[in-house]
Amino acid sequence: MSEGTATEAVGAQGERALTLLTSELPGAVLKSESAFGEVTIYVDADRLVEIMTLLREHRDAAYAMALHVTAVDYPDREPAIPRFDVVYQLRSLMHNDTCRIVVQVTEENPTVPSLETLWATLDWHERETYDLFGINFEGHHDLQRILLPTDWQGHPLRKDYVSFGEPVAFTHNLEWALPAAERPRDMPGGGR
Amino acid sequence: MAALPPVGKHTAPLDPPQARVPGLENVDIVQLDDDTMELNMGPQHPSTHGVLRLVLDLDGEVVKRCRPDIGFLHTGFEKSFESHTYQQCIPYTDRMDYLAPLCNNLAFSLAAERLLGVEVPPRGQYLRVIMCELTRIASHLLWFGTSALDMGATTAFVYAWREREKILDINELVSGVRMHTSFIRVGGLLADVPDEFYAMVQEVLATFPRMLDEYEVLVTGNPIFRERTRNIGVISAADAINYGMTGPSLRGSGVPYDLRKARPYSSYDHFDFDVPIGEHGDVYDRYLCRMQEIRESLKIVDQAYNNLPSGPVNTPDRRVAMPPRNEINTSMESLIRHFKLSTEGFRPPAGQVYEAIESPRGELGFHIVSDGTNRPYRVKVRAPSFSNLAGLPFMARGELIADLVAVIGSIDIVLGDVDR
Repeated sequence: MSEGTATEAVGAQGERALTLLTSELPGAVLKSESAFGEVTIYVDADRLVEIMTLLREHRDAAYAMALHVTAVDYPDREPAIPRFDVVYQLRSLMHNDTCRIVVQVTEENPTVPSLETLWATLDWHERETYDLFGINFEGHHDLQRILLPTDWQGHPLRKDYVSFGEPVAFTHNLEWALPAAERPRDMPGGGR
Repeated sequence: MAALPPVGKHTAPLDPPQARVPGLENVDIVQLDDDTMELNMGPQHPSTHGVLRLVLDLDGEVVKRCRPDIGFLHTGFEKSFESHTYQQCIPYTDRMDYLAPLCNNLAFSLAAERLLGVEVPPRGQYLRVIMCELTRIASHLLWFGTSALDMGATTAFVYAWREREKILDINELVSGVRMHTSFIRVGGLLADVPDEFYAMVQEVLATFPRMLDEYEVLVTGNPIFRERTRNIGVISAADAINYGMTGPSLRGSGVPYDLRKARPYSSYDHFDFDVPIGEHGDVYDRYLCRMQEIRESLKIVDQAYNNLPSGPVNTPDRRVAMPPRNEINTSMESLIRHFKLSTEGFRPPAGQVYEAIESPRGELGFHIVSDGTNRPYRVKVRAPSFSNLAGLPFMARGELIADLVAVIGSIDIVLGDVDR
């Protein structure tokens, strides 16, 4: 781990949130990881609003600014673990701290509650995550694409979305000559 | 004689827009009801600083609602990162916020360096600071010129451009190109600076304060400009935080939050400088913040330049840094290392980091998820312009359409940064 970066000098980022959540909302933290001087807190989608409200309002946390929300796609995970990580990054100006909250959602039901009423900035960030990952933010007042045209097909930052080029069929992969919709699900560009 | 209609109200419905191109009657102007008109501003309007499109609901000249439509410059950089090695990602970062490419390089490099556990030697850190502060000055000068131009001050634009050119010359000297420099890389810099660098920085330090005084006389002290910018686009500190605004747009509302002070990176804690803040959160305060920031940046450059340590600029860690040329001639291991770094790059351990710096526009963060391979698994860019622009509808409500132009200028967005 690096010695010179400043974040280590002010202690592991996000420990404040972890301590508060463990004491105030027992059972809310599913698990937590600490690496590179940052704590990642995994929580359940059902309790997300309650948890985030506490982190925003409680004076020991006061995460008044939401930096971003995004997602990470893990299509090759074992079936027991949901496919998407929805990642929230919060910043407390009062305590000069950053914390990362992760909610895991499945491919079949990629839904988390919208937090745009807690932090106004999340309105656009949630739209971006919906646009690029297809995560459904329940309760968002206007959940539509923001960066891509409204008639765009698919969600480009998913790992199974082919970013450029057309698959070329050779003798060893003749199934690539099939139309995109008929290709096997596990192929690049398949199943769309 | 019939009474005149009240100001700002149409008593009779407007005539339907006349079709000049058949089938495109409703493209630009749509009549919503008797009082409201929907007007399309941009994406090719010169005051929208690039390709921002605003859909405005107007009552006369008053903006009732403003809906930004973004994405015209969306290039999918975040997807591209996933198929490139870490060093290959650096040129992509240049092209996001194309007015502050070095700050983008720095943010990505710092995040990758934290994953790798690599530290850059003091000389490399100081040179990074000098280049980033010069970039901040160049970016603020461009903002000063264009936003003054939006409000009709043509002369200021030409002056600011002239000064910015000197900083672009320094970029060209150290990296070979004027804008997309890729000068700051993971593990250090492209190379140490050439000898001519010192004289050019001295020239900037010597001439810029006088030039700034000239600008202040031209614009800051100008009563027309002051009347034009005061009390418009007002946003309170609490609202600015709620909308995730950072940088001078947040500090203009009186929040003294600057990552260079709050979470110093790259030796910023070695330098003595102030964080200017505003009071009312209007366009004029944001203007003053940026103008004072240029002077503070000059102070930082001055200190870093005068205390510039000697020594290497790149990390000695051979997992990341290329071996020196003379070593490759004599050592087989160095030759292999050189080949492996060129073809494969390095492999940070699995994990995720979020690293943020203070770019000229605000908090620029990179969230990198590594899976232990030589390419990042996922890179999320927390772009300051994106969040700052999200606050525009709030600031624009109730303003005149002519003032909206000033408000857009005052949040200093770069559409490459918004759309990525």
